[in-house]
Amino acid sequence: MPETPARAITAPDDADTQSHTPTHMPTTNRPINMGKTVADQASRLDGIAKVTGRAMYARDYYMDNSLFVAFIRCPVGVGRMVSADEDAARATPGVVEVTIDRREGTYAGQPVGRIAAESKTALRRAMRALNARWDAGECKTEIEHVMMPPPETSEAAQRALAGADHVLEAVYSTPVQTHSPLETHGAVVDHRGDRAIVYSSTQGVQAAADGLEDALALKRSQYEVRCEYIGGGFGSKLNGAGREGIAAGEVSRAHGRPASCFTDRDEDHLDTGNRPSSRTSVRVGFNNDGTIVGGHIHSWGGVGVARGGGGVDCPSGHYNLGQMQAGNESVQLNAGAPRPFRAPGWPQGKFAEELMVDEIAAICGADPLAIRLRMETSEARKEMYQLGAKLIDWNSRTANGSGRGVTKRGLGMGGTSWRRFPARAEAEVVIHRDGSVVAKTGTQDIGTGMRTVAGVLCAEHLGVPLDHVDVAIGRSTLPIGPGSGGSMTSHNVAPAMIAAAEDAKAKLLDALADTLGEPARDLDLVDGRILQRGEPVMDFAQACAKLPREQITGRGEFSRNGGAQQHLGEGTSDGVQFVDLSVDTETGVIKVNRVIAIQACGRVVCRKTAESQIIGGVIQGLSYALFEHKMLDRNTGSMVNANLEQYKILGTDDTPLIEPVLWTKGQTGVRSLGEPPTIPTAGATACALLNAIGAPVRHLPLTPDKVLDAIEEAQP
Amino acid sequence: MNRFTIATATSYDDASAIVKSDRFALPILKAGGMDVVDHLKEGLWEPDALVDVLRAEGGAAAPIQEHREAGRSSIRLSALTTLDEIATSTLIQARCPALAQSAGSAATPQVRNVATAAGNLLQRPRCWYYRSKDFDCLKKGGDRCYAVQGLNRYHAIFGDGPCHIVHPSNLAPALMVAGGVAHLTGGDRDSIPIAKLYHTPDRGVRDEHNLKPGEVVTAITLNAAPNSGFYAIKEKQSFDWPLVMAAVALELDGTRIANARVCAGAVAPVPWMLPAVGQALRDVSIDDDAGLKAACARATQGAAPMSDNAYKLKLLPVAIRRAVLKAAGKEVE
Repeated sequence: MPETPARAITAPDDADTQSHTPTHMPTTNRPINMGKTVADQASRLDGIAKVTGRAMYARDYYMDNSLFVAFIRCPVGVGRMVSADEDAARATPGVVEVTIDRREGTYAGQPVGRIAAESKTALRRAMRALNARWDAGECKTEIEHVMMPPPETSEAAQRALAGADHVLEAVYSTPVQTHSPLETHGAVVDHRGDRAIVYSSTQGVQAAADGLEDALALKRSQYEVRCEYIGGGFGSKLNGAGREGIAAGEVSRAHGRPASCFTDRDEDHLDTGNRPSSRTSVRVGFNNDGTIVGGHIHSWGGVGVARGGGGVDCPSGHYNLGQMQAGNESVQLNAGAPRPFRAPGWPQGKFAEELMVDEIAAICGADPLAIRLRMETSEARKEMYQLGAKLIDWNSRTANGSGRGVTKRGLGMGGTSWRRFPARAEAEVVIHRDGSVVAKTGTQDIGTGMRTVAGVLCAEHLGVPLDHVDVAIGRSTLPIGPGSGGSMTSHNVAPAMIAAAEDAKAKLLDALADTLGEPARDLDLVDGRILQRGEPVMDFAQACAKLPREQITGRGEFSRNGGAQQHLGEGTSDGVQFVDLSVDTETGVIKVNRVIAIQACGRVVCRKTAESQIIGGVIQGLSYALFEHKMLDRNTGSMVNANLEQYKILGTDDTPLIEPVLWTKGQTGVRSLGEPPTIPTAGATACALLNAIGAPVRHLPLTPDKVLDAIEEAQP
Repeated sequence: MNRFTIATATSYDDASAIVKSDRFALPILKAGGMDVVDHLKEGLWEPDALVDVLRAEGGAAAPIQEHREAGRSSIRLSALTTLDEIATSTLIQARCPALAQSAGSAATPQVRNVATAAGNLLQRPRCWYYRSKDFDCLKKGGDRCYAVQGLNRYHAIFGDGPCHIVHPSNLAPALMVAGGVAHLTGGDRDSIPIAKLYHTPDRGVRDEHNLKPGEVVTAITLNAAPNSGFYAIKEKQSFDWPLVMAAVALELDGTRIANARVCAGAVAPVPWMLPAVGQALRDVSIDDDAGLKAACARATQGAAPMSDNAYKLKLLPVAIRRAVLKAAGKEVE
């Protein structure tokens, strides 16, 4: 069990880096990436722990004497449990608990009870012995089964449509995408009567702790939630302790033994959230020059058994669309409820909006770049589009569908943005007399690089090399930190961590001033050395050895209206992406050749993890564009592809050259980076496909069958 | 996953004897273990023994060999030859490129390193209703094929049912056009042609092959087919099952096709020979693109697509034409 926080790892020297850095990620030599605030050399602090298997994920905790918990689930979209042999399940060797809470279900995968047993094998045997039999009722699995027509178009929008040179009417749709984290959802709880440790795969250790008081029957002070590492969190692990954590907590408390409750892969697809399906109906008027004058956009989100959450960000606000009426409805279906998924509502909306814009450009014979530059509401994105056009060689683009030969190339683009959501963050920087430093904050690193970001900020603002700093995160008992959702971790932790580092530095220099009998204002700490009036006098370790007490603690806090506002700085999360793809027009198979992703994220704290975020966002966006599709059997409502074979996710051979470009112009404060890079990818891909084949494919995923149909329709 | 014994067979005969003995109630042969483990994980099979045949030839599989006799060349693979060994064998690449290409396009490098030739031929279908424990389909003793009224975009466009799986083997179409033969032990025959290895669902829906209990594949032989090619169309290029695939063996007289054997995969419950296409290809020049297209268009005659898979009708002629071109040594997309 790793009790020590991850240790900083010094970046190898330049020559070494050269030989190990893939040459096809040419991101380091772009002038635009260079700048004082970019920590170019810092490597992910926990990278070695992760690739060597030393990192312990919640699911890795197999405790002595542990119980295992699994849910009894409804197997169909609408079901009634007509029989179940609870006695036989209870009599299965190793079984300690069988509970059935309800005997109806309204989606496949719905928990209706649970079994706890001493091994996973016993759990499965008990599940089999239970032999639950279900009658299946008629179910609704698609938005089209339930949706009502859009509301009446307003008079203003009708006037805009009537006055327009052309009207585009189209319906765009996107399927359900599941989060599919490698580590499924769950927790291990070790309840010892008057205290407990909870190992949770969570995007919020604080929120997970808040949700466990009842299950553990303990005071908040008597237990700790730990999440040192997490095997993927794209929004679906923002649900506090989750029903798995609560079940593990209740079972561990009841039996006085550790308990582990994790979903299997199929359960993870069914019942741990998703990006809801969408349908966007547009009637948009535009003039001969491509100017959009208004119209009516109405969207539906298929939210399963949830009441809401089906938002679709079309219109996005990125474009001036004239007198546009917009509405959205959530549609209930017999399917698992959505949860936040990396930019909820946005990839769906931008798929519809970007393709709509390119369809309009196609009808007008206009250049998609030119009409975007005219409609764009952000000056930053306008500049980014112009840079991106150069990088992707937009001038080499040919007219839609005009390529000769079987393989046709296409280029497309799309824009992105993200708001800053303020949240409370507290940080501590502790300097020990032995020269060691710990940066603490009660947030977590969901793979985004937060641990490294905290370390770099502490090191830089304290004035010591990164390898002097240990980072302590991922525990609910640390100073409060934000949940990792809404791209709000780095930018809320940053001001607090900077303030804590500066506070620690000031306290260190004060203490040193007393010892040396020199005024503190003459002292500074830079790159691990104490400077007196600019001249080095001792190194950091020597200074710490002179501390009058064992440790110094610097503190910082940030919140919406108070604390550390001076470290907020300026910045945005605007971005644009360009996609270059080829289509085999005989097979309909798309090969994405290259993606340029220009992204602002405020001040870049750590270049490598920032670029990794962008690359990951693009990969997830391409996967959404090309493959991902949760498919429910239309008769039973059961998911037919509840695995990672038939639920298709982008693989290595499908991954193009992805070139992240960090936009540093005017960016001084840390801003969001998690969601924005996945927002425009599907839309830009669909636009590139339109360019290649001369016809739009309005329904994700962009599979060969749809591509071939579109090619056929495009033929005169 | 249930508990089971691993019984290591010291020879193919030993494996057969273990299967036929009453030592175990439900013994299952395991070579590379790819498909076996899939079944165990999904809870579709609960064997009390896995009979491990990986040591049946004493540890390493016999090398791929060519036998020449009276001007005819035949190639012999062990049942345990891995897909990677087939794909990278210079002998297979030269003497039956369709087979090397079919092996090389399957799955992933990791899978190809352990998956065996016999395992590839005898793997079970990937139909999502069959593979999901939630559906009690015909193959599992249930009363219906859920694909008929359900989701069937990856299902068959040929065959009369009652089950609409597609046979998943990559190697089978290539072996069909190269006169492949499976060599057997443990039964009353020594071999069975690949062309007779499989049956359609109307002749038994619970399994796909015609081996009797205790019959074990020991080796595979095929005729040299130096002018052969294979082409698979896949949605994903990493680790995906083909939407359609085609293997073609040609006899060429200059650029003229003197004879053609064509077999499609992933379109029917068994590897699907297309003699009408072979017939139509005869006397067409491999440089005559229109002629090739017209011949390959015949592939869909008699097809009966389901609700979601008519697109395969467009893909199949393309896959065949590209396999023809590859067989003739031409570059394809």
